[in-house]
Amino acid sequence: MVELKNVDVRYRERGGVEALNDINIKIEDGEFVFIVGSSGAGKSTLLKLLTRENQPTSGRVFVNGYNLSKLKGSKVLMLRRSIGMIFQDFRLIPNLTVYENVAFVLRVTDKSKRFIRQRVPYVLNLVGLSNRAKAYPSQLSGGEQQRVAIARAFASDPGLIIADEPTGNLDPELSYGIVEVLKDINQCGTTVIMVTHEHDIVKYFGGRIISLKDGSVAFDDTIGGGDEVE
Amino acid sequence: MKWSNMTFLVRRGMSSIWHNRVMSFASFCIIMVSLLLFGLSGLVAYNFNVIIGNIEDKNEILVFVENDAEPYKLAHIADVIAANSLTERVVFRSKEEAWDLQRERMGAEYSVLFEHLDENPMPSTYIVTINDLSMIEQAVDDFSQIEGVEQVNAPYDFAHFLTSMSNNLGIVGIAVLVALIVVCLVIVYNTTRTSVFARRQEINIMRGVGATNTFIKLPFFIEGMLIGVIAGGASWFLTKAAYESVISVFAGDLSIWQVLGMVDVLSFDDVQWLALALNCLAGAFIGALGTVFSMGKHLKS
Repeated sequence: MVELKNVDVRYRERGGVEALNDINIKIEDGEFVFIVGSSGAGKSTLLKLLTRENQPTSGRVFVNGYNLSKLKGSKVLMLRRSIGMIFQDFRLIPNLTVYENVAFVLRVTDKSKRFIRQRVPYVLNLVGLSNRAKAYPSQLSGGEQQRVAIARAFASDPGLIIADEPTGNLDPELSYGIVEVLKDINQCGTTVIMVTHEHDIVKYFGGRIISLKDGSVAFDDTIGGGDEVE
Repeated sequence: MKWSNMTFLVRRGMSSIWHNRVMSFASFCIIMVSLLLFGLSGLVAYNFNVIIGNIEDKNEILVFVENDAEPYKLAHIADVIAANSLTERVVFRSKEEAWDLQRERMGAEYSVLFEHLDENPMPSTYIVTINDLSMIEQAVDDFSQIEGVEQVNAPYDFAHFLTSMSNNLGIVGIAVLVALIVVCLVIVYNTTRTSVFARRQEINIMRGVGATNTFIKLPFFIEGMLIGVIAGGASWFLTKAAYESVISVFAGDLSIWQVLGMVDVLSFDDVQWLALALNCLAGAFIGALGTVFSMGKHLKS
């Protein structure tokens, strides 16, 4: 579960600019949520709060059972291990193969060799990349690289996956495929938060939409999908 | 940490050397040149010490015994000199030997001077070499007080000159060594920092997925250490080649050795395995330390 209670974020280094203003959001386990908003609306600040890269000026943030205001040292690592992150620029380790990139996150959590051997092929199969396990990121298309990133995020079976503009670098037809994969993962019970500015995708898939505007929640409701594509 | 994950990180550290070959080569060159400078400075310092030691060995305190000293007294004087803690070596020169030596030194040209002498005027002498030239006054004082000793002669000026030169060379040597260490560490630190900076995205990815600092540092540590060991080996090879070529140039002119008082110049073969071990150890230490410091700073930022 993700919950933000009366969260304010002000950046002192930017002359006290208010990035988030009195945010109250609650996302239950197993939900799929789109977060939308224009540049400067506060989307990145919100994500940094959830991964404990930033802390709120006031208010409280809870993620996967952790109270982020009280989180210190090794607990921050535990929090990050409980979240699967997907980025617009994929952020794969260039000198590791697809298999090793996915296995890396399992090694970090000190999983056994046997578990890694079973889990990595499973998640690669889930994203449709079983046949590219030995390839390096530079040998893959953008869509394939993002699928590897999704496989990596899902490999440790986290309770929450946060996807920050995962389709931002992809062609529209590939973008839909990526969201489909995220939807499949969500079907397994994993909470997915996807930040995007691509309204077509949001309208096509529908579901819960949280729209940020000038650091505040402008819209938080569920819309239908498919038939609303213009 | 599980063994399989540990071996993965070690393998990763090793393969990173090739994947980041430009920065690896830069680190390799810096460590190699640093160790080469250290090695050559060490060899030069060692040989300087040998030169000074050889010159010091040539200093002699002459302890002249009273002319009418009985054999038992001579033996007593020898015992007291040998028992002195400053004494390194004692050689006895009898009256007859001293006389022969004196005549030999003056040559046939002056032999007429000795023809009318009734008896041998030369005293028996103990030629003493001491182990610490800076204590020459103390030694002369001790020897002068031995019963039966007539006079003690010592090369004070020469001893003071050598002592002062030895001290100054020591200070200069230490200053050069400290300067070299500081310069090398600064360069190695900055090179590894650049290397870490070039791979900051990789490090950030590891942090993003919740890797501990140890997990992130280990491959860099292995990489830095291996580059250091290889650089240590290369610097050993260059040091050997440079030292032996310099020695062979000097060996062509034996008079230089004679002037310098060096008969037993250090042969690289005598210390080559020790030098190789020290080079590799120092390289591993510098490489690993530089990486760990740079990584630590990056991870804190």
